[in-house]
Amino acid sequence: MDRWQNLRASWQYINQFIEVTDKVNWAADPLVAEMFKERFKGDAYGMRALFMYHLLMAHAGVDVNGQLSGIPILLQSENLGSDFNIPRSSFADCIKQLNEDADLAISMLPEEYGDITDDNQVPQKYRALGVTSGQYTRVFGDNAKNRMSAKIARAIKAQAALLAASPAYAASGVTWEEAANKMADVLDKLGSNPVSKLDPTGNLWYVDGSQIEKMAAGYNAPEMLWRSNKEKSSTLEADNYPPTLFGKGRVNPTQNLVDAFPMLDGYPISQNTAYKANPYANRDPRLANYILYNGAKAGSQNKVITTAEDGTSNDALNKTETSTRTGYYMKKLLCQSVNADPNSKTEQYHIKPFIRYTEIFLGYAEAANEAWGPTGTGSHGYSAYDVIKAIRKRAGIGLKNGDAYLESIKSDKNKMRELIRNERRLELCFEGFRFWDLRRWKAPLNEAAKGIKIKGTDAPSYIEVEKRDYKDHMYYGPIPYGEVIKFSNLLQNQGW
Amino acid sequence: MKHIHKGLVCGLALSLTCVAVSAQTEIPSGLDVDSLNNSVEVAFRTVEKNDLLGGVSVVNMKGMNQKAYSNYSLSFLNNEIAGFNGNIWGMGDYLVVVDGMVRDGNNVLPQEIEQITVLKGAAAVVLYGSRAAKGVVQITTKRGRIGETRINVSLNSGMYVPKAYPKYLGSAQYMTLYNEARANDGLVPAYSETEIYNHGSGLNPYRYPNLNMYSDEFLRSMYNRSEAIAEISGGSNRVQFYTTAGYYRESTLLKVGNAADNYTSRFFVRGNVDIKMNDYIKVQTDANVTFYDNFTASTDWWKQASTLRPNRISPLIPLSYLEENDMNSWNIINGSNYLIDGKYFFGGTQLDPTNPVADAYAAGDSKYVSRQFQFNTNFDIDLRSLLQGLHFRAKYGIDYASTYNQGYSNKYATFSPTWTNYAGKDLIATITQYNKDEKSGSQNISNSSYRYTYNLSGQFDYARTFAEDHNVFGMILANVWQTQASGKYHRVSNMNLGLQASYNYKHKYYIDFSAAMPYSTKLPDGGRAGFSPTVTLGWRLTGEDFFKNTPFDDLMLTASAGVIEQDLDITTSDNEEGYYLYKSILQRGGWYSWADLGGEAATEFQRGDNMDMTYIKRKEVSVGLRGSMWNKLIEFDLNFFMNDVDGGLARANSLYPIYFTQVGYPTSSIIPYVNYNKDSRKGIDFAVAVNKKVGEVDLRLGVTGMYTKSTIEKRDENYAYAYQSRMGKALNGLWGLQSDGFFTTAEEIAAAPQQFGEVKPGDIKYIDQNGDNTIDSNDEVFLGRSDIPMVLG
Repeated sequence: MDRWQNLRASWQYINQFIEVTDKVNWAADPLVAEMFKERFKGDAYGMRALFMYHLLMAHAGVDVNGQLSGIPILLQSENLGSDFNIPRSSFADCIKQLNEDADLAISMLPEEYGDITDDNQVPQKYRALGVTSGQYTRVFGDNAKNRMSAKIARAIKAQAALLAASPAYAASGVTWEEAANKMADVLDKLGSNPVSKLDPTGNLWYVDGSQIEKMAAGYNAPEMLWRSNKEKSSTLEADNYPPTLFGKGRVNPTQNLVDAFPMLDGYPISQNTAYKANPYANRDPRLANYILYNGAKAGSQNKVITTAEDGTSNDALNKTETSTRTGYYMKKLLCQSVNADPNSKTEQYHIKPFIRYTEIFLGYAEAANEAWGPTGTGSHGYSAYDVIKAIRKRAGIGLKNGDAYLESIKSDKNKMRELIRNERRLELCFEGFRFWDLRRWKAPLNEAAKGIKIKGTDAPSYIEVEKRDYKDHMYYGPIPYGEVIKFSNLLQNQGW
Repeated sequence: MKHIHKGLVCGLALSLTCVAVSAQTEIPSGLDVDSLNNSVEVAFRTVEKNDLLGGVSVVNMKGMNQKAYSNYSLSFLNNEIAGFNGNIWGMGDYLVVVDGMVRDGNNVLPQEIEQITVLKGAAAVVLYGSRAAKGVVQITTKRGRIGETRINVSLNSGMYVPKAYPKYLGSAQYMTLYNEARANDGLVPAYSETEIYNHGSGLNPYRYPNLNMYSDEFLRSMYNRSEAIAEISGGSNRVQFYTTAGYYRESTLLKVGNAADNYTSRFFVRGNVDIKMNDYIKVQTDANVTFYDNFTASTDWWKQASTLRPNRISPLIPLSYLEENDMNSWNIINGSNYLIDGKYFFGGTQLDPTNPVADAYAAGDSKYVSRQFQFNTNFDIDLRSLLQGLHFRAKYGIDYASTYNQGYSNKYATFSPTWTNYAGKDLIATITQYNKDEKSGSQNISNSSYRYTYNLSGQFDYARTFAEDHNVFGMILANVWQTQASGKYHRVSNMNLGLQASYNYKHKYYIDFSAAMPYSTKLPDGGRAGFSPTVTLGWRLTGEDFFKNTPFDDLMLTASAGVIEQDLDITTSDNEEGYYLYKSILQRGGWYSWADLGGEAATEFQRGDNMDMTYIKRKEVSVGLRGSMWNKLIEFDLNFFMNDVDGGLARANSLYPIYFTQVGYPTSSIIPYVNYNKDSRKGIDFAVAVNKKVGEVDLRLGVTGMYTKSTIEKRDENYAYAYQSRMGKALNGLWGLQSDGFFTTAEEIAAAPQQFGEVKPGDIKYIDQNGDNTIDSNDEVFLGRSDIPMVLG
């Protein structure tokens, strides 16, 4: 969880870079050199904003004096002789700095990178200098795809605004409306009706490694706002497949998450009576996509996985160290055509999303519901309700009843909040969101992790797998303890 | 594993002229064969034992092997040398010098050694320069003597018998305890009663394994080591020679598969010739060749024996459990290259697709081969025609060592049976194969490395006695040695000048000044030349009239002070040679890629500059007292020492923010190494011996011992509470949470400070040192020393 050490080190590198970059001759061709300089500087400011976002998420909090604080904002690089005893800046100032950095990036970087062939496509500010399409392509062409861009910097601003508007950071003064508008700034670039641009297969980007392999270099599917390089591997599968598929069964989804998936008709399981007898029938199709439950099939041979307690293979509940502890194995993120058998291993292509549009849509829905209510649209022409309806439709629930459950709550802001948070939980599961979401919402943290025990044809029983024991101060992370001892002006967050 | 060694020593002394062995001592005087017993080899010179000035211990190895057998040259030192306990005065890595050359201590057998001198005090080691700062073990090998040719052959064969093995838990016991552990965690049992019974009953150990890797199924009750060593020596007035050759071979306890053939063998030849060219020039030439082989089958037996659970796997399963007409299974099994004795196939499971027994048969093997060649030559030119008492001496030596591993690494298939029971008889129903048989076919040659060392020294020394009472000695010397190892760009090297001036009056009052001027290229320009002065005073009390009528035959008091500048500790774990540690590093590292293209390495700092880096200083004061009483009935030698090692390298992290360093990926830092740490040690070592002649037998009873106390004087640290500070505490400190007994009730747990995780009655209750009501690493205190302050030999 410690972001302080490595991200502040990165921050120091970025400051050093910004200090020298004007003195560097980036290319022999002066026009190209000028463009490179601008690209690198924009890149640096954008990354500084990104690192600020992650630093705030992990370390911002209410300090011992009761102030909502962020990190010390340092805009110059430091050396061995610098004064290090610098107090933390307020959270609001950190957000302000983040927005300034991101705005600089947006002003310096193109919306998207890509080769151009026609000099008329060269942006005006460069065309005025006499830059040709070839010169422009060299700096801002395909070779720079998926580097920091204006689009990404805008998304970082939106992510940070959502964080700042959340209950835990409300003292920042950032409003839900601001957050909703910043999310919409990203979405509006998709066209006049952004909700219609929701990628129909956006939540299953990982399932087909061969499609990823065929993808043109740097190409982003509509779902991907920013992603890692594609890479061929089998490590995720070897770590998380069940034991009989030669996996180590590492991530075990909890019953708590499984219970969050609604029924196929879109209603929560609590409103369904058939659920108890047959917990996996007629459920939200995302459950089967993301989670491997007892009797489901997995792996390159589409093998039935038995996680029941009385299962005979090592996949059974608590059978060996690598067996599931909850009765479930993770299926999301894994490419089922990977064979993890060390003897006949086949690898597949994977990509890791850095920012998905689904996250931005859900962020808009969350902020818009708070700002304008479930069906309010602000100045944007689409509401939280519209977004959630599209996401649930893509998931395949409530198709036959016109999503009656969603319709039934669309005038209740509180129920809508609950639903948006639940959709966020499902859509973004296993992608590193839930931990931070619970904290920024100040939601209860101490729900024990549960599992399922299935034996024969008996009704399944539910087991407690791991207790959670978080104290209230743990809604915020700590400043590294050693730093607080060293520097008296660096105030720790309360309770740590 | 503990061993007892039952030795069988068979010594033969042959003399070509049939002179009795005792006759060897009747060689004309002046050519004293036992001269080494009264003289001691110290740094770059030989002194009379009488004139030693403290901080030096010596053991004469002649006859040592008749008293106690060993095949490692330094194995007697812990017992025989006061102040030696795997290191000298608790200081760490000492330097081994064999016949004046920096060499490995394990490439010379005890039988080849005449004398071992341990140089402990600062004044004793200073002439050897920077890399000798933590003490020197100086080995002198045997040389030829004037007289008839002697041949000495010794044969030695012994068995190693394991005294005890750790107890291998039986399957049934293991499974019962495992269930118990799970019950404590609130989990259902992993093994049913029936399963436990089946594993425990031993009815079918193939279906229900009960592996014991320490059982006689896999291990011999003893293994053998045999050696033969021959020594030939002799010589005339002009030429003396000594040569020895030997071979040993050690087998193994394992009797599984190819591991049964594991062995270690060593063959060596050592020879030296001393030639007196004329009245002025003497030349010595030594050579040594060693062939060392160690063959092992690729099974990590002993490590696996400490981790492999008994119920998990049956390594070899009899073919007889296969049904005759189960063609599917037979087809799978017949595909295996390893049907052991035609009767067994390798067992395996998905979780354990390999096992140590199958490894021993099929994983291949590896032979470690080491070849060493050593050559050195010495000149001694008597310059009395220039100045009475002046000599020029020079030594030159080159050593080569090369090692490599050769072997095959293979993979193999194992088979997991699914069992069924038909008419009361266990049979294999189906077979699943894991992995494949794969032979690499070509031999791997790996870890190939060489090492090359040269030693060179030259000295002028001058020794003369004036007016019978004034003994004067002076010496200036230059000493260089370097070791070049493959894969290392920089050489380990030592370069120094040395100066010694000694005077004594009637062997009663002594003064000695010894100094070295090291030169180290590990330090920044301008700071490379060092200076290490030492002064020693000695007073023979028994030389005084007022001491005449005491029980003391001899009593010598010495006091010494000095500073040694060393670059030995200018080293870090990632830069062992320690060059350029004063310079900052900027390197390409870390990686970022985008656009599905290759990407770019980033540039990262690894450390900052420190152009003020200096030698690390050993500052020492020592006092010695040596003597004998009642006509040598009691002999004693004791040394008291206090030293500081000041200026140890550290990165003063507590001065800078944590983000000046990155850990994980990427790794970087802009913090320089500075001379920062300081440790102090003080201690006393003593050796006392009682000599008595009982009838024809010389009895000698001795005891050696050492008491040391080390203290950390200065460290870079960052603690909130004073009790956490390492400073003022012992170097080998044990730190941890302090226990306050066990919890007995839930109420007690509720009332106690927050402990780790979920606490139940029966768990340890820790003391909350800082009173913050939480037990964490801040509550760790100094628990005690991990070493033993007092050692006796």
